Amino acid sequence: MGDGDIDKHMLQEMDDRIQSIKKAALELQELCGGIQAVYRNADRILASVKMLEINVSDVLDVL
Amino acid sequence: MTKVRGAHVYWNPITETLPRDKLMELQLRKFQKIVAWAYEHSKFHRQLYQDAGVEPGDIKSWDDIRRVPKVEKSMMRQIQRKDPFPYGDMLCVPLERVTEFHQTSGTTGQPVYQADTWQDWEWWSEAWSYIMYAQGFRDTDRIFLPFGYNIFVAYWAGHYGGEKMGCEVVPGGVLDTEARILKMQELRTTALMATPTYVLGMADTARSMGIDPAKDLQVERILCAGEPGASIPATKQRMEEAWGAKVHDHVGATEIGAWAYECTAQPGGLHVNEALFLIELEDIVTGESIAEPGRRGKLIITALDRMGQPCIRFDSKDVTEWAEEPCPCGRTFRVIKGGVVGRADDITKVKGVLLAPSAIEEVVRSFPELGDEFEVEVTKKGDIDAISLKVELRPEAEGQRESVETRLVEQLRLKTNLRYNLQFHDYGTLPRYVLKSKRFKDLRPH
Repeated sequence: MGDGDIDKHMLQEMDDRIQSIKKAALELQELCGGIQAVYRNADRILASVKMLEINVSDVLDVL
Repeated sequence: MTKVRGAHVYWNPITETLPRDKLMELQLRKFQKIVAWAYEHSKFHRQLYQDAGVEPGDIKSWDDIRRVPKVEKSMMRQIQRKDPFPYGDMLCVPLERVTEFHQTSGTTGQPVYQADTWQDWEWWSEAWSYIMYAQGFRDTDRIFLPFGYNIFVAYWAGHYGGEKMGCEVVPGGVLDTEARILKMQELRTTALMATPTYVLGMADTARSMGIDPAKDLQVERILCAGEPGASIPATKQRMEEAWGAKVHDHVGATEIGAWAYECTAQPGGLHVNEALFLIELEDIVTGESIAEPGRRGKLIITALDRMGQPCIRFDSKDVTEWAEEPCPCGRTFRVIKGGVVGRADDITKVKGVLLAPSAIEEVVRSFPELGDEFEVEVTKKGDIDAISLKVELRPEAEGQRESVETRLVEQLRLKTNLRYNLQFHDYGTLPRYVLKSKRFKDLRPH
């Protein structure tokens, strides 16, 4: 396992996955029919997704 | 999995080593977004910006950032305790989105309430993860938190940040100091988070129990906050020697977030977390922007991703200066030299001389013959200011009182340009503090 450089392609790939998770969590909230056990846990996922966006997706915008 | 370069050094090598031009572009974009968000969702911000004749679309460059009005703590006090109760019109989300309540300590007046959503709370622990990773915390650490777990944000975010990083967090809540020390010994905790005052106080208590923290406990790193002590070399040295551990500083505030941290390179200052915050330095008197190193000013801080109750161009009144050299750790985040050296509203004139209380601490703590505690009182007799300094002589230095007094007077005069009424107190009799200390008392009528 060697060290590699961070490049735009790698960030793009990570961002694609981040947006997929976000889409799935939002869809879960739509689908759950108000079941709190689903809605609230999806909400926590979305808060973590925001941190991934801060750390990866937002940076992609300036590269 | 191929690890990227720096993954073992930085919490996020993507942001922490971003070239400065890209970093500034990132900050500008985020600033534009947070201003637009606040304008759309908070009556307070909309009114503030409209009164200043600024709309979010007007911010096109870094120079435009200064067109956005600053927010003072006093403004927050005025709008709070009203609907949406108790936060007032600064709130950008419906009340039901708020999951965390904290308040400021009220050191400078009526406490300010701070609302956070769960996303904001994630953001708090994210900011702390940046801090802790930079200070050598890893998932192998067992952290002891001798903290009251109350309405003050203090180490709550350190607790959650530690969990996020995979550390084992031991909540040392309501235990007294002796019980905390015994628990640390029992669990072989490797890390500690506390105010410098309490770190020194704990070491004192441990020694009185026959426990030498440097030898009998296994603490390797200490994360300090709440007071400037860990950035004051003499105080840092005292703590490191007492515990046989590395001590690192960080700065944060309830209404801002945890915005600066020292790294393991200990460059004599703190990195500003420019991935999460936009930090401006301005002249205390003229308000002129300061970009160059070596000139002191006060900090205006924006939390770029805090959404529930935003912090945009907050006048922190924290005084510092930019450091000259980049840090050898490789982070591109700028460094503030010596951390926060005082507060614009703490720096006071005594006998016509500008005095920062941290300068007194630096002198007192550089005397090994003196205990960790001291107290300063400024009074007025007629038209004349008087300043007294209470110190404790360590029992083993009792025979050196005269020599200590002579050298202390001389050092204080050199470092602060003032002559003090020195009072020696019996060791252990000055007040001890758990959270923020109140060692500087200005008792003059204002």
